[in-house]
Amino acid sequence: MKAQITLGIIVMMFGLAIPANAGGKGEIQKYFNDAANKVKATENATEKRTILDESLKGMAKVLNMVQSSPFISNEDGTAIARIKASLQEKQNELTGNNGYQRVPDTQLNNFSNYVVQSMEQAESINISLVALLLIIILVVLLV
Amino acid sequence: MCVCCGILLGSLSSCSANLPIQGEVLYSEDSASKVQYSIVCVIHGDGDYIYHDASGNEFKADEEAAASAKKVARQNPNAEVFIFHQRPRQHFLLFFPLRDGEFFYYRNGQLIANELYWRDNKQSHFTNEVEFYRRFHVGNKFDMVSMFLYYGHEIPESGGVGYDMSYPDRAFTVDDLVSGLKGFTTVSAKYDLMILSTCFGGTPYTIGALGSFARTIIASPDNLHLSYLDMNSLEQLNLNLRDGDVPSFAKRFARKTFDRLTKDIQTEVSVAVYDMALVQEFLHAVQTVYSNTLNTLKGEEQFSLTTIEHCDCADLTSYQLPTINAGVEVFYRPAHFGRSKIKQNHSGWECWRNTVP
Repeated sequence: MKAQITLGIIVMMFGLAIPANAGGKGEIQKYFNDAANKVKATENATEKRTILDESLKGMAKVLNMVQSSPFISNEDGTAIARIKASLQEKQNELTGNNGYQRVPDTQLNNFSNYVVQSMEQAESINISLVALLLIIILVVLLV
Repeated sequence: MCVCCGILLGSLSSCSANLPIQGEVLYSEDSASKVQYSIVCVIHGDGDYIYHDASGNEFKADEEAAASAKKVARQNPNAEVFIFHQRPRQHFLLFFPLRDGEFFYYRNGQLIANELYWRDNKQSHFTNEVEFYRRFHVGNKFDMVSMFLYYGHEIPESGGVGYDMSYPDRAFTVDDLVSGLKGFTTVSAKYDLMILSTCFGGTPYTIGALGSFARTIIASPDNLHLSYLDMNSLEQLNLNLRDGDVPSFAKRFARKTFDRLTKDIQTEVSVAVYDMALVQEFLHAVQTVYSNTLNTLKGEEQFSLTTIEHCDCADLTSYQLPTINAGVEVFYRPAHFGRSKIKQNHSGWECWRNTVP
């Protein structure tokens, strides 16, 4: 019995060896990847466009809220503004606004991959853990 | 019970430094004579390295790179391969830090050593890595082909605070990598090939600084997807590099990676090969103007970050010199979407410009 308890404690201890940066930015990438999977899962171009539109708008809404939070530093505010601008560009391209040619229906799957890959690129997201946590919480609650 | 105590003690003792987790396999000195290729591979994994393929499958870039590097090591019966995997810092029981580096040394296709180690968190970034290198390196032979690989995020040219997620106050810059390289090379030796698998590696400053340690460099001047530059060309070097012509090998390597990246990647793809002897004239010509830009960045970090962006040096008048293309072979395809999709060429040199008119 004592051996079982000891083993249980050891297993718990190993379980507590959690990486300090588990989750975090990966959750934001996962958000766009989930949207891309949904886009590819439907044949209907209108639905594809709606999914992309809503995912971009959803993240922009979250970023707006995080940016106006008192917990956010100037550096984070700057980084968030850059991400927002990048998302807005994608929104414009999707809908054909602001000088962009509208993404053709046949290219929506590729465009969904473009959004994922663009967000994954090395310096796309460079914000603090506090800001990231706020983003993740709001994504879960609001989107 | 004894086994459990042993495991527990083993875990706690990992808080002490320099204890080998897996011992070294004995190898004969004779094995050194068979080594024709020496590869040092540093893989940074202490950051955000998650990416997805076109089917939505999730990968960790550093884990994938480490697996590829090990495959390269196993597939080369005439090579020694050093792999340093810099992992995120973890804690046992929330308080006891665990080792955050893992070292592998392969010789002639066999794993000789595998140790967990502490990444140096002081000023120098590669003290422990260099120590491992000096302990196992077979010694420079005049006909040995040497390569240095760095896989990670863009290495900042200034600032660099927060590069390691586990050490948010510590900075890592190109100059720090240069300091590390001094330990991995002798005074006169240069790597035959350096592979810089990061975003924005092809800047005049980065290539100029690293070029002091390499004859040929492969880097991405623009963004590079986290699926990175392929390592599989480095497998079977006895066949792939049998003529010993490293510059030609570098071009084949770049072409192969470019072809793979352009198949699935929708963002821009750029892979460039720099012949360090031939790019010197251009680098000397632009050194001052580029340094001035960097100094501005160093002096006005926060202000600059909001008002500058990367761009092709060829878009800036100061860099439009007849020598800009000398010694650079560029494989470039623009993004399929976004403002830059109409850009058809890249000079292979990446600069900074103001976004505010």
